[in-house]
Amino acid sequence: MSEYIYLYRGGEDRANRSPQEMQQVMQKWVSWLQGLAEQGHIKDRGQPLERGGKIVTGKQKLVTDGPFAEAKDLVGGFTLVEARDLDQAAELSKGCPIFDAGGFVEVRPVMQM
Amino acid sequence: MSDFVFLYRPPEGPVLSPAQIAEVMPKWMAWMKSLEDSGNLKAGGHPLERQGKIVRKNGKGFTDGPFVESKDLINGYSLISARDLTHAAELAKGCPMLDGGGAVEVRQVASM
Repeated sequence: MSEYIYLYRGGEDRANRSPQEMQQVMQKWVSWLQGLAEQGHIKDRGQPLERGGKIVTGKQKLVTDGPFAEAKDLVGGFTLVEARDLDQAAELSKGCPIFDAGGFVEVRPVMQM
Repeated sequence: MSDFVFLYRPPEGPVLSPAQIAEVMPKWMAWMKSLEDSGNLKAGGHPLERQGKIVRKNGKGFTDGPFVESKDLINGYSLISARDLTHAAELAKGCPMLDGGGAVEVRQVASM
């Protein structure tokens, strides 16, 4: 088994949802992650991220308001998973609720040092 | 203290050679150590390989596309503990990625 990261990108802004919708969506995430955990694929459930943020750039260490990407590519969170290979890691991502919200998943192998 | 994530964004250009990586590694380790010593490092995180897949879904179903490098490339992350976003950004200034012309995106972990 190797390690991969899921970078959850894009998708609807959580702030636009009602508390009930938020609850429903959160439940979907919990269920999906739980399912992966039960199959032994979760290394670290990861974190959801607030929109906004700051960017520090270059040798001048310039600080500007973030985020880095447009809304459609914005990284909203990540999870560390274990899978046989990249294909399986990609396959396992397909149950992710981000797709229903119009987002997508970037699957990257963790570099083994 | 709150939780933050550093998303490391490399400068455009070729991947570092093994010699360049060997040169920069001690700087990363020293920076991580300083964050650890000051109680600001929650997890060193991981560097990411420059390959991958993009999984999208549309009306017809899923498409697995190859990962294509773009200006929006993330090549690693770390978990940080800081007083607030401004403090977290201040801590990011020590990152060796910046000397090479890259960037650090600083994002607050959402409390759900």
